[in-house]
Amino acid sequence: MPIEYWLVFSSLLFAIGAYGVLSRKNAIVVLMSIEIMLNAANINLVAFSSYHTALHGVPDASGQVFALFSIAVAAAEVAVGLAIILSVYRGYQTIDVDKINILRW
Amino acid sequence: MLEYAWLIPVFPFVAFILIGLLPRRTLGWEDGAGYAIVGAGGALIISMLMIWEVINGRTLTIDAPSTEWLVIGGFSIRFGIWIDQLTAVMLVVVSIVGTLVVIYSGGYMHEEAERRRRYYAEIMLFISVMYGLVIANNYLEMFIFWELVGLCSYLLIGFWYEKPSAASAAKRAFIVTRVGDIMFMAGIIILLKYVGALDFATLFASGGVSAVPQDMLTLSTALIFGGAIGKSAQFPLHEWLPDAMEGPTTVSALIHAATMVNAGVYLTARTYPLLVQTPDSLLFVAVIGGITALLAATVALVATDIKRVLAYSTVSQLGYMILGLGAGGWLLIKSGSTAGYSAALFHLMNHGFFKALLFLCAGSVIHSVGTNNMRVMGGLRKKMPITSITMLIGALAIAGIPPLSGFWSKDEVLSSVYHAGQFDSVFLLLWFMGVATAFLTAFYMFRMWFMTFSGEPRSEYHAHESPRIMTVPLMILAGLAAVSGFVLFMGEGFKLFLERSLEGLPMLVPEHESFADIASNVFTDVFTYLVLGLVVAGVLIAYRIYHMPGFDRSVFARGFSGRMQKVLENRWYISKFYDDFALTVWYGFSLIADKFDRYVIDGIVNGFAYLGANLGGVIRKAQSGNVQRYASLIVLGIVLLLIFVVYILPWGGL
Repeated sequence: MPIEYWLVFSSLLFAIGAYGVLSRKNAIVVLMSIEIMLNAANINLVAFSSYHTALHGVPDASGQVFALFSIAVAAAEVAVGLAIILSVYRGYQTIDVDKINILRW
Repeated sequence: MLEYAWLIPVFPFVAFILIGLLPRRTLGWEDGAGYAIVGAGGALIISMLMIWEVINGRTLTIDAPSTEWLVIGGFSIRFGIWIDQLTAVMLVVVSIVGTLVVIYSGGYMHEEAERRRRYYAEIMLFISVMYGLVIANNYLEMFIFWELVGLCSYLLIGFWYEKPSAASAAKRAFIVTRVGDIMFMAGIIILLKYVGALDFATLFASGGVSAVPQDMLTLSTALIFGGAIGKSAQFPLHEWLPDAMEGPTTVSALIHAATMVNAGVYLTARTYPLLVQTPDSLLFVAVIGGITALLAATVALVATDIKRVLAYSTVSQLGYMILGLGAGGWLLIKSGSTAGYSAALFHLMNHGFFKALLFLCAGSVIHSVGTNNMRVMGGLRKKMPITSITMLIGALAIAGIPPLSGFWSKDEVLSSVYHAGQFDSVFLLLWFMGVATAFLTAFYMFRMWFMTFSGEPRSEYHAHESPRIMTVPLMILAGLAAVSGFVLFMGEGFKLFLERSLEGLPMLVPEHESFADIASNVFTDVFTYLVLGLVVAGVLIAYRIYHMPGFDRSVFARGFSGRMQKVLENRWYISKFYDDFALTVWYGFSLIADKFDRYVIDGIVNGFAYLGANLGGVIRKAQSGNVQRYASLIVLGIVLLLIFVVYILPWGGL
């Protein structure tokens, strides 16, 4: 199976994730979309890793390890994200990202 | 002996400083008149010594001592003196008239208790710088004094500055002459650019201006003559002189009849060695002079203010001199004769005397009657015998009745113009205008005299003869006006005397005329009698209309002559044209410029300020606080960058 399939798939996934981040109003959904984008990146890492192995005949697990790393980091990041969302909810009584414009001039 | 000529301006200048700075109680008689007379008299004595030297054939021109005044890099400007026959003629007029006017002022300005001091200081400064102008030996020095006499003219015309008319007349005189001054300056700048020197010795030497292209030389001489148009009140810049009559009459007599207005003629004569190389400029000079002479004479016909008649007459006579110089230049180029040149300067000298006399007589009348308006005068002959007789002499002199001075010089000018007519027919036309002017001059001068002195008083006034301090200068001037014409026969003749000041010119053909030659030239010329006949006719017509009773003057107000009279009373609408031009064209342009400044220039400046103040308001809208929008922009940026890197850079060949 050529690597291009994987790459096209992951870029579609990434585009869906990016669209979600940019267009959904619910902060939780935004976080989920971020996860989708991270997943797309992880798919890429794994795909390149196996492609590299097939190309050189030498097993190379660095791509897999990278993927695991980013899964772990993503988990931590979601925890922080959810905490922020909760504290924002306490302050604003909403998690609609359109209404949260504390950064405004 | 001649080296001491630089002392001439020093005397009046010292008097100016003393009158201006000493405490009032030390000024003595008439608040400084004593100092003024001493200052003017000292200058007179030295001037006379200088003139005596010149008459005896000594001049001080190229070899005159000079002092370095200004050094700019390798270029140095030296100030020095230049005494030749032309200077001498001017010195005669300035010194004699100046001194007599100062003496006369002692009586005339008696009522100006508080401000006599300022008057004497300014008049002394004027006399001083006028001498400076006359003895200058380079154009720059001349220009500096030229501006200074303009300043003094302004100060003295505006002497009664609380009168709006006087203040505006002073401003007008200053500004209008300034137009000419700028032309003069441009002319000498051209010379400086090509020759690199401004002193007469360099410029007038043969080949002195060979570095200047012909067209630039023509432009330069025409511009220098432009200075004369301003100062000598020639058409079209002549309207300031009649307005300048707002000043005291002594000022009119000294500055606006005998000295400063002659400076323009003097400048033109001084520039002769350059002018004869540019015939086009000379033609221009002659045409301007002829037009001015006739135009001003016609306006003088209807003036009712005694001083304005004299002012227009001055403009007209100055036109004669300029015409004589212009025509004389052609004579000199074509036939090597200096007849026109010497005639013009001869007329300058005579005119200086009789016009100063006429003005001082008018001053005496005004002093006595208290008004300038001739319509309310009349019958003054019985009450003011000395004034009326001296003024009659002046009027006869200016009209050109032999053997008084005006006859000789006017005849010389007209004959030289006529002779120039054989080289270019324009001069014949100008000669015709000159003859017409002679007739008009005789008429209006006697109109003035009869209206003022003869007949019965036309209104109630208390008149008395002026004090002796005023009448004695009148009598001296009357004597001069009567006899100064005989200078024509002085020594080897006035013409030969002046010819020497042009000795270096290649085209000059020296002529020696005996007394008999000169006289026969005058009295065998048919045109002499023609002009004389016209002059006598003019006097007789004036006598018939203004002296003998029973002439119905209302005939002038009807039909064509009525329209003509209206035109003349409005001074040919020249002033009106200037005013209208200023009001419409210039003011309109100013309005446009104002709008441009207000909206465009200020708009740009304020626009930048507005930009700084309000640009933030535009940009701040980007800070919506909406995180998703920020992220969208980031993505958009990345996409654009990717497009750029992937497609555009390779397409550009990188």
